[in-house]
Amino acid sequence: MSVIDILFRVDAICKKYDKYDVEKQRSLSGSSDDAFARLFASFEEQIETTLHKAEMAMTETNRATVVAMKAEVRRMKARLLDEVPKLQKLAQKKVKGLSQEELEIRNELVLALPERIQAIPDGSTSAAKQTGGWGASSSHKNINFDSGLDVISEGLDLLKNLAKDMNEELDRQVPLVDEIETKVDKSSAELRNTNVRLKTTLTKVRSSQNFCIDIILLCIILGIATYLYK
Amino acid sequence: MANSDPDKLIAKADKLTRLSLTRWSADWRNATALYEQAAIAYRLAKKYDKAKDTFEKASRGQEMLSSPWDAAKHMESAAALAKDLGNWNEVADLYKRASELYIESGRAQPASDALAKGARALEDALPDEAIRLYTDACETLEDDGKEQMAFDLYRAATNVYVKLEKYADAATFLLRWALAADKCNATHSQCKAYLSAIIVYLYAHDFQQAEKCHNDCCQVEAFLNSDQNRAATRLLSAYTDGDVEEIKRAAQSSIISNLDHVVSPIFHMNISIKKKTFDSD
Repeated sequence: MSVIDILFRVDAICKKYDKYDVEKQRSLSGSSDDAFARLFASFEEQIETTLHKAEMAMTETNRATVVAMKAEVRRMKARLLDEVPKLQKLAQKKVKGLSQEELEIRNELVLALPERIQAIPDGSTSAAKQTGGWGASSSHKNINFDSGLDVISEGLDLLKNLAKDMNEELDRQVPLVDEIETKVDKSSAELRNTNVRLKTTLTKVRSSQNFCIDIILLCIILGIATYLYK
Repeated sequence: MANSDPDKLIAKADKLTRLSLTRWSADWRNATALYEQAAIAYRLAKKYDKAKDTFEKASRGQEMLSSPWDAAKHMESAAALAKDLGNWNEVADLYKRASELYIESGRAQPASDALAKGARALEDALPDEAIRLYTDACETLEDDGKEQMAFDLYRAATNVYVKLEKYADAATFLLRWALAADKCNATHSQCKAYLSAIIVYLYAHDFQQAEKCHNDCCQVEAFLNSDQNRAATRLLSAYTDGDVEEIKRAAQSSIISNLDHVVSPIFHMNISIKKKTFDSD
């Protein structure tokens, strides 16, 4: 048996047992009901082929072939991008038996399509386009950053001015405080001196017993005097 | 004795001080004490002119007793009463005398305080005299090496100049302030003073002077590297271009708003005036 015979026989067997091929059935049934699903599936397929072609173009050594492949890729990308609006319209349509969430998912998928298509490398200006895309989105962020930074810098300027003014004010206070310190030291020394003298004088008088006796006697005399005069 | 009539006290004190055949040397100590009591009594009775005279006599008595400090204090009280009475010339003289006495007693700070008080009292009535007093006060402090304390005086004097619309004088005074700030290494105040001077020149519509001032100030390193210099350059270039919006924007910057309250409202007025001149051009 030759190879070709084997191939034919394998084909025949596959056709016979197609009904057990789950994926194929699903896609067949899907395609019959939902126009969106059909179109989306075809889109996916085309994107896959384009990607494959782009990869081959990158690995190819023959320059002419590379150029031809890249041109092909670009043509397919353009065609796909043109058909995206059709798909979008279909995605908006409500289909029987489709939940709200699935509808939203479909919308998102459609929105993601142009980016995916653009992402296919066609080697021309992909790098520049990418960075250009990045630049556009980041300059918008930059503007926000810049205005925020401006506000912060104004605040910092104000803080700096306040801080410098405070610095100079404190410098002005330093010699005054030194003067106060010397004066207070002198006063406290004098006070301590006076206290010591007072203490010695008091102890000299107090420690003698006569002091207490003197006070008691004085009180008795005063009492007698009052009694006598009353 | 404290409750007796102040007139009687004064009569008694005068008798003590008057020299006659029976009295060969005046008894200043008692006389001064009597004068002080009388003066306080007059002040309580709100007889300000009599109180003022009595204070002057008491001050003279203290001078005789070689205590310039007390003499100066009495002179100051007399001057405050003169202010209440509204005798502006007397106010100026009394405060000047008080500050001289303070300097005699070796205290520069109270001397300049006395002059400053006098100047503040005369700001409305005799502004020229007030400025003279402020200048003297600043000099007193600078002689004593206390330039830091003079900043408030400089600011007040500039305020008076601006009120009198003597902008060239105001700017010169601001430059003097910057010099004082330089001596005590207060670079921030120095730069603020320079910027204020430039703004005052601009307000007087004297652009050449402002430019010259700016060039002079740029010789000073501290100013050259400061934020104030940046603001000044921006402002001057906005003026040269005649761009009112740019001037307004430059004025909104925090540097200029942080200048003294004297200069910053000038500046906002300046912008409105500039706008008018540009609109008319």
